[in-house]
Amino acid sequence: MGNTLFEKIWDSHVVVEKQSGPSLIYVDRHLIHEVTSPQAFDGLRLNNRKVRRPDLTIATMDHNVPTNDRSLPILDQTSAIQIQTLEKNCKDFDIKLFDINSSNQGIVHVIGPQLGITLPGTTIVCGDSHTSTHGAFGALALGIGTSDVEHVLASQTLWLEKPTPFEIRVEGKRKNPHAVTAKDIILSIIKHIGTGGGTGTVIEYRGEGITDLSMEQRMTICNMSIEAGARAGLIAPDEKTYDYLRDRKYTPENYESLVDSWQDNLKTDNDAKFEKQFVLHLDDIAPQVSWGTNPGMTCDVTDSVPSPDEFSKGDSNQKKGAEKALAYMDLKPGTPIEDIKIDRVFIGSCTNARLEDLIEASKVIKGQKISSHVRAMIVPGSQMVKQQAEEMGIDKIFIDANFEWRESGCSMCLGMNPDILYPGERCASTSNRNFEGRQGTGGRTHLVSPVMAAAAAIQGHFVDVRKMDLS
Amino acid sequence: MKGNIIKYAQDNIDTDVIIPGQYLKIHDYVELATHAMEGLDPDFHSKVKEGDFILSGKNFGCGSSREHAPIALSNSGIKAVLALSFARIFYRNAVDGAFLLPIEVEQDAYDAISEGDEIDIDISTNKIKNITKNQTYKMKPFSEIIGKIISAGGLFKYKPDQD
Repeated sequence: MGNTLFEKIWDSHVVVEKQSGPSLIYVDRHLIHEVTSPQAFDGLRLNNRKVRRPDLTIATMDHNVPTNDRSLPILDQTSAIQIQTLEKNCKDFDIKLFDINSSNQGIVHVIGPQLGITLPGTTIVCGDSHTSTHGAFGALALGIGTSDVEHVLASQTLWLEKPTPFEIRVEGKRKNPHAVTAKDIILSIIKHIGTGGGTGTVIEYRGEGITDLSMEQRMTICNMSIEAGARAGLIAPDEKTYDYLRDRKYTPENYESLVDSWQDNLKTDNDAKFEKQFVLHLDDIAPQVSWGTNPGMTCDVTDSVPSPDEFSKGDSNQKKGAEKALAYMDLKPGTPIEDIKIDRVFIGSCTNARLEDLIEASKVIKGQKISSHVRAMIVPGSQMVKQQAEEMGIDKIFIDANFEWRESGCSMCLGMNPDILYPGERCASTSNRNFEGRQGTGGRTHLVSPVMAAAAAIQGHFVDVRKMDLS
Repeated sequence: MKGNIIKYAQDNIDTDVIIPGQYLKIHDYVELATHAMEGLDPDFHSKVKEGDFILSGKNFGCGSSREHAPIALSNSGIKAVLALSFARIFYRNAVDGAFLLPIEVEQDAYDAISEGDEIDIDISTNKIKNITKNQTYKMKPFSEIIGKIISAGGLFKYKPDQD
């Protein structure tokens, strides 16, 4: 029997294998940031350990950096300390750091691929659950906690129980690929399989609906694998993958010979077996809007807010969960999604803040102004994205429409920097989590694609972007 | 191990409500603990006692990889979380740092155990005794490796070469 892509990458990274239980897996790349690394470095110091492979460890600061003018001091002292601590740790342990003033700074999952640090067939870990993003390049990329960060710093390895392979096939073609995006595909998948649907698995996304996507769109898909509970998500590399990574800042010198070997090896065998399968058909898929407080609570933009009774077929917790979510979101069952008014728009995050996301959103707003009652911000995923967008003049389109054009960082995805929702505010957000309080205490998050967020900014409420000319 | 139950009868308790993002900058674990569960239950800090257990539904700890989540619960006094299922990163963090025991329970235990019940968890026999209600339930046994890491007191105290 053949092997899946995941199994091939796993097998080629096993350092120690036991008859039962976990294997010791080698880590090719370790990405670190300011929030989940300080205690790990404290642990190293306490035990008089070194970083085993500083050359394979790369750091940036993204989670708590302010996204306003970088020449201003950081007012939040606890953030400033966390940022200074990362600087000191990187200096003490000889780790490459893209700091707040670096032209390579950005969200860790945006800069990894942009710099050519993310490579097919490698294992990548980071103390952040959205590390699954890098799977778009055919890497096995796992989010880990701080104890594991310390373990990887000290040993460049991780003990891992082998997850099971899960095939998600995306079949068919989108009728309007500008209006129905990768974000709508992954939200649809999570809506169907649930937030625990991928627990204990590594998802491989396959089929025409996936191979049709650009690399940036594939990253959006893999990014949200964790929202289905999966350990990781990946996509077999192809010519688009190899083209994307060619001639990046850290692309290896022997890149073409690596590509030759990837072309031969990095694919799932025809007779490989997946433990679990799910198929999504794209033919009639609509733009998605989340209505509740987890990413599985999502519906078509043409739907109405569901009634908790629709969930009574499941166990009682499902109905109760829907009731609680609607109360938090202050939504009434039966309200058309398009009638929901919004106060804020956030285009950003490791899910949807890449150049293509910005280009697509700019088409929606070109020549228009945002609704008078909406505050909208756009936060490029990295300084490189920001610079490219500015060279194309996209920043002007947003600024002319009264969007705030900001510096790169995680920003309003997670409510731990100055960019937050205020209690009761309702936001159309291109981020990945609509948990209670995620974007700020009492804030209400609706997950959408960049074009849906941009259209909502203009209209002041959700609209079906399929009605617009986006070509 | 005996303790009293704090029950959250819902699925998908995520790490953002266990410890909201704005507190991830706090390095002092005692201070961090004062914000545990704040996103879901602002009274948690005032009602939790040393040695208490949390009981909840499916997919407990979903979301972020923040180890602050089990750390905040642990420093609040929580010794174990009993749930119908766990998100894997939370489970792993809880065990790796020896912060608390993540215990998977069956539906019968979830339904029967109420807020405030005193229970006795015995991981050597995989039994949970409800002292208040005089009932006994099964818990899902830890895998061999998880059991060893727990016995050792966390990932960094576990010595795999001694197996």
